[in-house]
Amino acid sequence: MSSSAVDAEAPDLVCQLDNVQGLVDAFTAVRWKRHQDAVIELSEHGIVLIVEESGCLQAKVYLQREVFIRYEYSAQARPRFGVSLGIFVDSLNTFSVPGRLSIVEIKYPGPDMQLLLKSVDSLDACIYAEIRTRIPETISWDYNFEPAGSSPLSFTVKSAALKEAIDDLEWPGSSVQISLEPSPPSVTFKGEGHGDLQVDFMYYANTDLLISFHCDRPVSYRYKYKFLRATTSNIPSSVIRENRGSKLTIGRGGMLKVQHLVSVARPSTSHPHIDSAGYQQLSRIAFIEFFVKPEEDTTDD
Amino acid sequence: MKFKAYLTDNGVNLLEKRFLPALDKMGKICHLYLTREYVIFLHNLLNGDGIQSIAQFRKEALFDDYRISSQNDDRIAFAIDISLLHRAVRSSVSICSEFGNGPTANRLQIKLVKKLPLNCTQSMPFLTFETKGYKSAVIQDVPISKPMSRGQVLELQTALDMAQDLPQTLVQVPDLNQLQNFVDRMKNVGDLLNVSISKYGDLHVQIFTTLITLGAEYRKLFVIGEQANAPAEDQNLSAQTRSTRAISRGDAQSVQVSVKHFAKSLQYHLAKPDCTFYGIAPQGACLTVIFQFFIPGSRQTDKSISLHCRLPVLDPGTS
Repeated sequence: MSSSAVDAEAPDLVCQLDNVQGLVDAFTAVRWKRHQDAVIELSEHGIVLIVEESGCLQAKVYLQREVFIRYEYSAQARPRFGVSLGIFVDSLNTFSVPGRLSIVEIKYPGPDMQLLLKSVDSLDACIYAEIRTRIPETISWDYNFEPAGSSPLSFTVKSAALKEAIDDLEWPGSSVQISLEPSPPSVTFKGEGHGDLQVDFMYYANTDLLISFHCDRPVSYRYKYKFLRATTSNIPSSVIRENRGSKLTIGRGGMLKVQHLVSVARPSTSHPHIDSAGYQQLSRIAFIEFFVKPEEDTTDD
Repeated sequence: MKFKAYLTDNGVNLLEKRFLPALDKMGKICHLYLTREYVIFLHNLLNGDGIQSIAQFRKEALFDDYRISSQNDDRIAFAIDISLLHRAVRSSVSICSEFGNGPTANRLQIKLVKKLPLNCTQSMPFLTFETKGYKSAVIQDVPISKPMSRGQVLELQTALDMAQDLPQTLVQVPDLNQLQNFVDRMKNVGDLLNVSISKYGDLHVQIFTTLITLGAEYRKLFVIGEQANAPAEDQNLSAQTRSTRAISRGDAQSVQVSVKHFAKSLQYHLAKPDCTFYGIAPQGACLTVIFQFFIPGSRQTDKSISLHCRLPVLDPGTS
């Protein structure tokens, strides 16, 4: 049906977003060092950004199409390309004007396979960026997350408390053991290195911190501190402020999944009580997931 | 060599709240050049690199009872630390307002003195601030360099004369804060900034590296000097194509400057200018920024204050 000439002209994706800062926050959350390569995957459902480090840590940012005010996808296969995460975040950041709503258009690919950004809210002033993309490297390690058994091993903790606990574990450094106990229901973070430090979350004692807890048997895995730290070190201040809760799940082989939610909704200044607006706000959330592999010498079961 | 003057209320306001904080951002040390009519703060006029900045006040804008005398045609110039000067003015103001009863009750006197500091065998030059309170007087000495020789002053005056050439086309930046916000974020992406300015009133700034091209275009700005009507066929082009075409037509000029310098020049918003103009000097010698100040409560330019800076061009070959 469609002629090749038309295909060549229509870009794979044109989308528009009215909260650039939300996007910057979401991407910053997975930026744990200065120079980082990211892979971006486009689909009819939205955009996924993936970063990975030394086969032990992977992070994904999911931006569903509902996050955007306009989303026109016209590719056949799911396009994938690599970008420098730092360049992408820094250039997106230049589009964000404090105290003003700025609409940015994202387009892929440009004439030279670039990722194109453009501000579209003013006729007489325009910000634009053309970001060089790369052919993505294949992800070196499979991060398929599978449940550890028939019942889930997971807990949800207030994001601020999680970040504080992990920050506190910095001084022992090296590795951190995460243990879940069904009775009494509790989660323990234990850091061992130059001395040791233990942070306990007791389900009944800290009901305001530990929001949910699922565990039917004791488990314990060790994770490298620097990878664990990456999961909360750049968590956006909006997440800490809203303090919804971050969910941690332990999967097969001790793989740890950490999930945060970042609001990409338009900063609501008026009508917070209108239902339709509230509904719209709900769907405009970026999902962030980290996968951390446990250390080899697990003290399992 | 003598200098003695009283800072007026307006002068204190201009220096303390606006100009000294802005000048401090431009560089810690500057030359203060005093003549019979003018008080001039100069940055980087004698050494080649860095932003050249010239803030010139008619003596009446800052002082009354202004007395100056020197054997060099009543000109005095010396180097001074802006942050120390700012501190001295600030604390003098607080003393004045603590004890003062109206503007004339306490007068803030500034004079040039030579003193023998503690543990020193040689006397040193200072700019002294004397504030008379209700029952006390507070004296603050701001150390300065040895006053410049006749030859050095001549060199400074020559550099000042050379820095007065006006760009043929100047465009007015509508929102300095917005531009500053943008350029501050842009600093993370690259070091070199291409700036092109057209007779149509377009200002186009762009960073170009191997990984990214990032730019901003502001159009239909108010133009002073040579101007032209934008060709209709350029309306729907990209910013980059538009400025390339304008340059090839001879209707625009482009220079490359350091992003850091550009960001620094925007720090002058601290001086609260009423208008800001950007222009490229003839032959692309530098990027000039001119700030205008209105007489309070009017739209008329205050001719007693002038502020402009010149950003060194890094690669004139590309223009």
